[in-house]
Amino acid sequence: MMKKLSTLVFGLTLTSLCHAQETFPRNGTYDERTGRYAFTNANIVVDSKTTIPNGTLLIENGVIREVSKQVKIPAGVVVIDLKGKYIYPSLIDLDSDYGMPEVKNEARGRGRQTPQLESNKKGAFGWNQAVQPENDASQVFSPDAKKGGDLRKIGFGTVLTYSHDGIVRGSGAVVTLTDESANKALLNGKASAHFSFSKGTSGQNYPSSGMGAVALLRQNYYDADWYAKGGKTKETNLSLEAFNQIKTLPSFFETNDKYSLLRADKIGDEFGTQYIIKGGGDEYQRLEEVKASKATLILPLDFPAAYDVTDPWDADAISVAQLKHWEMAPANPSVLAKSGVSFAFTAADLKNKSDFWSKIRSAIEYGLPKEKALEALTTTPARLIKAEGQVGSLKAGMLANFLITSDDLFSKDNVIYENWIQGKKFILAPIDAPDLRGTYSFSINKAATGKIEISGSVEKPDYKITIKDTVKVTPKVTLANDLLTLTYQPEKKTPGTVRLTGWIAGKGLAGEGVMPDGSPLTWNAILTEPYKSVAKKDTAVAKIKETGPVLYPFVGFGNEQLPKSETVFVKNATVWTNEKDGILQNADVIIQNGKISKVGKGLSAPSGARTVDGTGKHLTNGIIDEHSHIALFAINEGSQTSSAEVRMSDVINPDDVNIYRQLAGGVTTSHLLHGSANAIGGQSALVKLKWGATQTEMLIPEAKTIKFALGENVKQSNWGDVARVRFPQTRMGVEQVYYDHFTRAKEYAKGWKEYNGAGKKTALEVPRRDLELEALAEILDNQRFITCHSYVQSEINMLMHVADSLNFHINTFTHILEGYKMADKMKARNIGGSTFADWWAYKMEVKEAIPYNAALMYHEGVTVAINSDDAEMARRLNQEAAKTVVFGGVPEEEAWKMVTLNPAKLLHVDNRMGSIKVGKDADLVLWSTHPLSIYARPEFTMIEGTVYFDRKEDVAKQTKVAAERERLIQKMLSDKADGKPTQKAPMTMPRMWHCEDIIGIHAEHEEGK
Amino acid sequence: MKTKKYNKLNTCLLGLAAVFCLNTAGFAQNPAPAKPQTRPIILTGATIHLGNGQVIENGAISFDKGIITQVGPAASGSTNNVEVIDVKGKHIFPGIISMNTTVGIQEIASVRATLDYSEVGEINPHVRALVAYNTDSEVIPTLRNTGILLSQAVPQGGIISGSSSVFYTDGWNWEDAVLKKDDGIWINWPSYLSTSFNYEDFSVSLKKNEKRQETIDLFRSTFSDAKGYAGISKPSPMNIRLEAMKDIFAGKANLYIRADYAKDIIESVKFAQEFGIKKIVIVGGDQSNKITAFLKENNIPVVLNQSHRLPNATDEDVYLPYELPGILTKAGVKVAISYSDEWWRTRNLAFLAGTSSGFSDIKPEEALQLITKNAAEIMGIDQYVGTLEKGKQASLIVTGGDLLDMRGNSVSMVFIKGGKVNLDDKQKRLYDKYKEKYGQK
Repeated sequence: MMKKLSTLVFGLTLTSLCHAQETFPRNGTYDERTGRYAFTNANIVVDSKTTIPNGTLLIENGVIREVSKQVKIPAGVVVIDLKGKYIYPSLIDLDSDYGMPEVKNEARGRGRQTPQLESNKKGAFGWNQAVQPENDASQVFSPDAKKGGDLRKIGFGTVLTYSHDGIVRGSGAVVTLTDESANKALLNGKASAHFSFSKGTSGQNYPSSGMGAVALLRQNYYDADWYAKGGKTKETNLSLEAFNQIKTLPSFFETNDKYSLLRADKIGDEFGTQYIIKGGGDEYQRLEEVKASKATLILPLDFPAAYDVTDPWDADAISVAQLKHWEMAPANPSVLAKSGVSFAFTAADLKNKSDFWSKIRSAIEYGLPKEKALEALTTTPARLIKAEGQVGSLKAGMLANFLITSDDLFSKDNVIYENWIQGKKFILAPIDAPDLRGTYSFSINKAATGKIEISGSVEKPDYKITIKDTVKVTPKVTLANDLLTLTYQPEKKTPGTVRLTGWIAGKGLAGEGVMPDGSPLTWNAILTEPYKSVAKKDTAVAKIKETGPVLYPFVGFGNEQLPKSETVFVKNATVWTNEKDGILQNADVIIQNGKISKVGKGLSAPSGARTVDGTGKHLTNGIIDEHSHIALFAINEGSQTSSAEVRMSDVINPDDVNIYRQLAGGVTTSHLLHGSANAIGGQSALVKLKWGATQTEMLIPEAKTIKFALGENVKQSNWGDVARVRFPQTRMGVEQVYYDHFTRAKEYAKGWKEYNGAGKKTALEVPRRDLELEALAEILDNQRFITCHSYVQSEINMLMHVADSLNFHINTFTHILEGYKMADKMKARNIGGSTFADWWAYKMEVKEAIPYNAALMYHEGVTVAINSDDAEMARRLNQEAAKTVVFGGVPEEEAWKMVTLNPAKLLHVDNRMGSIKVGKDADLVLWSTHPLSIYARPEFTMIEGTVYFDRKEDVAKQTKVAAERERLIQKMLSDKADGKPTQKAPMTMPRMWHCEDIIGIHAEHEEGK
Repeated sequence: MKTKKYNKLNTCLLGLAAVFCLNTAGFAQNPAPAKPQTRPIILTGATIHLGNGQVIENGAISFDKGIITQVGPAASGSTNNVEVIDVKGKHIFPGIISMNTTVGIQEIASVRATLDYSEVGEINPHVRALVAYNTDSEVIPTLRNTGILLSQAVPQGGIISGSSSVFYTDGWNWEDAVLKKDDGIWINWPSYLSTSFNYEDFSVSLKKNEKRQETIDLFRSTFSDAKGYAGISKPSPMNIRLEAMKDIFAGKANLYIRADYAKDIIESVKFAQEFGIKKIVIVGGDQSNKITAFLKENNIPVVLNQSHRLPNATDEDVYLPYELPGILTKAGVKVAISYSDEWWRTRNLAFLAGTSSGFSDIKPEEALQLITKNAAEIMGIDQYVGTLEKGKQASLIVTGGDLLDMRGNSVSMVFIKGGKVNLDDKQKRLYDKYKEKYGQK
C-alpha cells in the first residue's frame, strides 16, 4: 500500500514540475520556460560506482532526460561545455529543520517550578505533550532563503525536514532547497516518522528521565495498538490516531551517544521497527553492539576541536576520554564503514556550515573511502527516505539536482561552481573565472614599479607585489567580472595606501588610481611569465592517519583488551566462606570456568592455573551493594506518584568510572535503584561490575526488583514551596497511594486473567496493556520484589499493613533507619533490612537514627544488609560493615555477611552469589588483611573468574593513562601550531547520584558551587 | 573543587521551606558535664600512644588537677593517695582534635532554625562561632564515643566567613567548653575553575572561573584597608569588621584559607604573605600533592577535607584521596585531616586517619598525629593538648584497641582536663530502650 502511495506522489510531483503551480494565478504575464540544458564534456559521477568521463547530461523542465557518453542534443537546448569539469548529484541531508518554525524552549523553572501534571496542548490529543505524532512537517514548511542558501553553498539539494521537538515528533517532509515556493520544493509530505528521548519544549513534568522517556514511548506503542483494535470506541485521541498512520513510515530516532542509540534500537526491536538512528559520533566506542543493532545511522560531523592544553595544570581538567575522542571522532565514519555499517551524513550539527567539507575530508584522511563518503551524502539518504527514484544519483527521469565542480568532490582544491536544483541554477563560484595567474611587470605612470605575482587557484588567487626588488607587500584585491580593485601600502612604516582600480586588458591588467597624497595615476601590469602549476602532491596515496586504541569502556582506566576468565588457584589464604565452614585458615580455593570449583586445604593447582599466594591474606566474596546509584544516566522519574513502568536497565552507563572505583573497594555487584522521589519508583537493575563489558553483559535479568519510597522525599517536604501540588503531601496520603495503585493492579491482573483464560476471544475486548499496572501485578504475583526506602516507624508499620491487607510481600526495607523500632514486626513478616551503618541528623526523619540499628535488627533475626546509596561509601563498605561490630556487637563473620551473603539473599541471587561454595559464581576479593580492618585493601577483585581490578595492574594503568594523555597533548599542540582551532578546556564531572537526587534540583545546587 | 557538602544534606537544604520549631528541651537531655578532677588519678597497664610517635607498652599515666604529671612504664607511677584505675590490656590515646567542623552550630541539616554557621553577606570577619556554639547539641556526646575530645567550630558563609573557636566536646555552656577563642579568620578563596550545568543533557562541566578576579580584588581592598586600620592605635570611626582582622596581621590568629586547586593555593598564600600575615593555613587542599615543595618551603600547614571522598577527576588515581595525607606527611608538610564542614560525621575522623595509613606509607602512629598533634600545633593549642606529655592537659581516651580501626575503636573511658566524662548519649539511650523491648542483652 505504501509503495503505491509513494509512486503516486512521485507521479504527481513530476507533473507539477512541468507545469509549476498551474492552479495559481499570476501577477503579470506567464513566463514558463522549458529549461532545456545540455552539459557536455563533463566527468559525470552518476553515483559512487559509475562515472561517465567526457559525458553529457541533458535536462528539461527540472528533470534529467538523458545521461551518457553520447547524447543527441535536440534543437533548442542551451549547451554548456564543461571542459573536463565534474558533475555530481546534489547532496541530501536527513536531519534537517530547514523551513520549520523555530522550536522555542520556554524558560523552565530549573526544577523548581510548580509541577505541570497535564498537557497544555489544545485539542483532542494525547495526554503527554512530548508525544506529538500529529505534527506534520509538510503543513508548516516554508522555504527559508537564508538557511537554504547556506545549505546549497555546501552542495545540498534535498533535505528531510521535521520538527525537532518532543519524544514522538510527528512526520517529516522531503523538500528540495529551491528558492521557489513550498509547493515546488515539497517532494513528499509524509516521508518519515521521528522520535527522540528528549521531551523538547514540553513543560509537562513526565517524563523527567531517560527511562521515563523509554516507558512513555513503549506505552504509546501499546496504546496505539489498543486504540486501533477498539480503543477508539471508548475515547477519541487524535494523537494515537496519527501515530497509527505514521508508525509504518521510515522511522528516524535522534539520539546523542552510543548508549542512547542502543536504547532506541531496543525499543524498535520490541515493536518490530528498525529505526534509522542519528548517533552522537562515538559509535566506534561500542562498535560491535552498534553493528549488531543493524540500524542504518545518521552521523554528525561536528568532530571536536582541539583543546587548549598549553598550561599543564589547566589541561589536567580534560579527561583522557575527551582527548581520545578528539583524536578518534574523525575516524568514526571510517571505522563504521569498514565494519559494514551503513550510514548517511548530516550537516545539521555544524554550527558553522562552511566547516562541512573540511570535516568530510578529515573523515577521509582517517580512512573513509571516498565512494562511501559519496554514498553517505547521496544514495544512502535517498534510499532511506524511499526517494531513490528522484534524488541521490544522476539518471534519466530523476530530478535535475546536481553539482558542477572543478575537481573530484572531495579534493582539497575542489570548487563547487554551481548547484542546480530542480533544473534551476544556483551559482556558488564563477565557472568561467579568468585565470590571471602568472608574473607581471608593474608600472605606475609608465615608470617601472616592481612586479605582481599571482598564484594559488583560479578561483582564489594569491597576490603578491614586490616593489623595487626589495619590499614585498600583500595587496588587498577584489576581482569580479573582469573588474579589479587593488590596494597596498608601499612603505611599511609610513602610513599611506595606493588605491588602484582596473580591468583585464589583453594578457595583462590596466587601470587608474590614486596615490596616498591624492594625485591621480595610471597603471598597468604586463604578463612576463605564465603561471607554472606546481605538480600535485596527492597523486601518491595519502597515508591514512592513525589513532590510539579504543578503550573498553571509553575511560582512561578502561581496557585495551577485555580481561578474560582464568583458572586461578588461590593458595594458603584465610577464606571467609559465609557457609557452615565459617572462616577457614590456610585454605585453598580453585576457580574454573567462572565458578568456584574447589574449596579446601592442601589442594593442588589444576593444569594451566595461575597460582596466587594468599599467605597472610583474606579471600572473601565480592561485596554486593544492595542500594546503589552508580553507572546510571538518570535516577528519578519523580514526576508522578508512581512510575512503576520505568526500568533502570534502560539507563545503565557502563562508562561510569565509579564502576572501576567500586571494584577497587572490593564491590562486585550493585543493585541500581530508582530514586526516592515518589511512592512507587521504578524497576531496579542488578548488575555485576564487569568493567568494560556491555550493558547486557553486566545485567542480571533474573533479579526482578522495584523501588518504593516513604517519607519526606515522597511527600516533597524539602522541595520548596512550589512543590505543594502533587499528591501526596502527607504520610496519610502515601498510604492511599498504595491502596489505590494496588487495588487497580489487582483489577488489571484479573482482567487479563479472564481474557487469557477465555476460550473464544473474538467477541472479547482486548484489555489495554498498561506497563505500570503490569509491574505492580508482578509484585502481587510474587514475581517482582520490593525494596522500600523508609525511615520512621509509623510509615514502616503503615506499609506492612497495606501489604497485609492486599496480600503482597515487602521484600526489603532500605535505609530503614528506625528498623530497630520495628524489628519484631519485620521478622514476623520475613522482611529484610538494608541500612546505613551510622547515618543520622541530616533531616527530621533521621533524628532517631542510631548506629546500633543493624545490630538490633540482626539480633531480632532480621536479614540485615549494609548498603551505600553513594559511590564514595560503596568503595569502603567493608569498613561500614565493621561498624556493626563496634556498635552493637555483631559477630565479625555475621557483619561480613551484611555486605555479601545477606544482600544476595535479599536480592534472591544467593543460589549463585554471596558465599564461597563450590558451584557458585567466582566473584571474589583477596584482601591485604582482615577485611573488616581499616587497613584492608583489595589485592584483586574478580567477577566470574575474570580479574577486573588488580592492585599492581592499577598502578601500571596510571602510568599508561599518563603516557596516553601526554601523547595526545603533544599531538594537540602540534595541531595548534598548525593553526587549527582550539577550545577552552571544559571538564565533565563524574556525577555522584543519591536516591534523593531529583534531576534539576540537585543539579542546580552543584551549579551554585 | 570546593568539596561538596554531603549531597543528602544539601538536597534537603535546597528546598527547605518549613521552619520547624525545634525545642531541644522536649527531648531527653545530654548528661551532665564532667566534674573537675578532685584527686590524682593513675591509669595503669595500658598501651599508651603518646601521639608523638612514641608508644609505651604496659604503661602508666598520672594526672592531677587536670594536668599530666607523669607518663611512663606501669611500674614507674606513684599510687599513693591516688585513684588507681587498672586498664590492663587497653590502649590510651590523646583525645582526637577535629578541625574545620560545624559541630555545635548545626543540628539538623534540613531544619533552618537549627543552622547557625552561615551569616548573610560576603565580608563577615566579625562574626564568631564562639557565641553560637550549643553545648546542648545532641550530636556532641556521640562524638566522644569515638574519641573526639576537641572540635573547632567554623563559620562557613561569604568570602570572609568569620572566626572559629576550639571547644571541648563537654561543657555547660560555650564559655565553659571553649579551649581557644577566636583562633582564626576563615576565608573562601575563589575557585580557579567553576562548574556549570547543562540543562539540556544534565551534564556538569568545569571551566575557568571568569568571575574570580572580582573576588580577589575585593579581598585585596579589604585586606589593605584592614592592614591600614590595624596600624592605628585608636581608630575613629571604629569599624568592627576591620577590628576583627587585627589579630591576623599581629600574628596572633590564623588566617585559614579554603582553597583546593594548586593555583588557588599558591595564589592565596602569596596574597597573604604580601600582607605580612604569618600564620597561614590552607584548608581543603585537594591538589596540594602537586605543590608539596612550595608548601614545605613556605611552611604552610594543610588541613585536608575528608579523605573519604571520590577522586576529583575521572583519570585520577582512585586512591588519591586516601593517599593524600601520607603523601604530604612524607614530603614534610604539616597536615591535619578534617571532615570539612560536617558535624555528626566527624565521629568517624579516626577512621579517616586509619584509612590514610592503610593506603599510604605512613604508619598508624604517624596517622594518629593527623588528628592530634598536628591539629594542635596548627591551631596553636599544642602547649595544652595533642600529645600525652607531662605538663599537658589530661584529655585522653581509653579504648579496647587500635583507635584508628573500627575493630579496636571502642572507647571505654574519657577524661577531659582530668575530669571523667559520662559517655551516655541519645543514641545509646535509644539502643538501651529497644534492647529492653526485645529482651536483648
